[in-house]
Amino acid sequence: MENESPSLAPDSPQLPPGASLPNVPAGFAPRADLGKLQASADAIRRELGKVIVGQQTLLDLLLTAILADGHVLLEGVPGVAKTLTAKLLARTLAIPFSRIQFTPDLMPSDVLGTSVFRPNQAEFEFRPGPIFASVVLIDEINRAPAKTQSALFEVMEERHITQDGTTYPMQEPFLVLATQNPIEQEGTYRLPEAQLDRFLFKINVGYPTTAEEVAILQGHHAGFGGTPLEAVNPILSAADIQGLRQQVRHQHVEPKLLEYIAQLVGSTRAHKALYLGASPRASLALLNGAKALSALRGRDFVTPEDVQFLAPAVLRHRILLTPEREMEGVSPDDVVKQIIQQLEVPR
Amino acid sequence: MQRRGGVLLLLAMLGSVLAAVPLAAQSVPPSTPVAVAPHVPLRRPTAAHLQDLRSQHELQYETDPVPQASVWDLFWYRVQRWLGRTLNGSVYQHGGRYVVYGAFLVAFAFIVLRLLKVDLTSAFGRNPQRMPLAYTTEGEDIHAVDFPSRIAEAESAGDYRLAVRLGFLSVLKQLTDRGLLTWRPEKTNADYLAELPAGPLPVAFRAVAQQFEYAWYGELPLTAAHYTLVREARAALLQLLTTRAA
Repeated sequence: MENESPSLAPDSPQLPPGASLPNVPAGFAPRADLGKLQASADAIRRELGKVIVGQQTLLDLLLTAILADGHVLLEGVPGVAKTLTAKLLARTLAIPFSRIQFTPDLMPSDVLGTSVFRPNQAEFEFRPGPIFASVVLIDEINRAPAKTQSALFEVMEERHITQDGTTYPMQEPFLVLATQNPIEQEGTYRLPEAQLDRFLFKINVGYPTTAEEVAILQGHHAGFGGTPLEAVNPILSAADIQGLRQQVRHQHVEPKLLEYIAQLVGSTRAHKALYLGASPRASLALLNGAKALSALRGRDFVTPEDVQFLAPAVLRHRILLTPEREMEGVSPDDVVKQIIQQLEVPR
Repeated sequence: MQRRGGVLLLLAMLGSVLAAVPLAAQSVPPSTPVAVAPHVPLRRPTAAHLQDLRSQHELQYETDPVPQASVWDLFWYRVQRWLGRTLNGSVYQHGGRYVVYGAFLVAFAFIVLRLLKVDLTSAFGRNPQRMPLAYTTEGEDIHAVDFPSRIAEAESAGDYRLAVRLGFLSVLKQLTDRGLLTWRPEKTNADYLAELPAGPLPVAFRAVAQQFEYAWYGELPLTAAHYTLVREARAALLQLLTTRAA
């Protein structure tokens, strides 16, 4: 499971019970009104909470990705509600949704679409594939071969596809939620680095705690396990999402924090434990993610905590360990954590 | 009839061959050795050239050239001689060889571990060396800053943002001096908040940290009224510290 990060939010676990403080210090008026954004996020959390037990960090990261206009790769062992979470999240957004089950025999045209000949008009007509939706759930993404994976390069980054010389733009918002299982090796293909780099976050979905698992069992025992999708209501329309994203783009970032992000990502390129560091696209992802997260936390500016909280999710799939470190059992998260611990926080 | 004709034809061919041999022998006169080679003048090197060749080191065939032994060669010669004496000696024969085997084994293991880049420092009770970063972080040591005078300077200059920052750093210093937290440039305010003992202190610290964040990271334009609130929050926290110490 994602590490819970200490936070200065009003309900911070470090504060004694009943000691919650307003999110804005008395007498300080923020520049932006984030009320609607926070209310929408809370409503989505409530809707998802009807079905999903726990996984608060997962939900926070998913909401951050929606606001930051980024794609998400969910990785976890089978049975930890990766697909269910993605489907439920799509349901809270009143926008077109499609699901693609990736299989070893899937072809690029099965994803993107294909041109069919119309004898009556004596011309080819493009039949859009399932990628033409606002939220696309790609289940078991690592089961399709590289040929099919590379079909996603253009659409994930440039938000359009090119078929027979014609470019077809995707409708906004466009969000890819992909799932993969890290354990199984048989019949799977490692995702190309170029494709991994196109995911804003890679979220490790872990096991629930014992208390959470008991709550899951209680819900199931009470009969709430048949059709959970029905219980979730849509909250945000496409226009709402666009409006919130526009607001997030105007979040304030102190110049020293930009340097901090650049140093953090740059450190991965010179780290002895890494064979491949993160690209400047990672810096952009970290910046955009931190802006969205700070808005979700009720601030109109970014703090180092926002950057640190997101750094593992942004970097873990963009860096490659050296074989020696991999053999020693070092994980990308360990390296990111070490970099964070050695980097001076701008203050 | 046919068979007789074939025999006659064979005899005729044999006769013609035998008749031709003396004719061929008569046509070539008996060979006699003739000295046809022209006179070849022998070239002889000059005496000076010969002397020069004789003095060349590579052309001394009679005696083996003695190589000039370098210091390195002498060292190895002595090592080899010592090894030879040791291996042939009674000490080696009576168990000393196991020491040599062990030394070779250790050397082999060391080479393998070095090739695998295994960090063995933790095996000797010391934490492994941290991988250095490619850059240097230049921290501001809060213990070396004269906060009262610098805060006064910032206040008099109307630079409330800087004054808020210095005030917050002075709070961190005082908390560190009292052993309530450990100051490090890499820590965030949330880290410090997590270190504080439970009670009213985290609430007061959070209020001060929040003001600092709005002033420093948020870059909100601060007025004298804002700064008054900041000073009040800081004073409340310091009061708590004084009460706690008492």
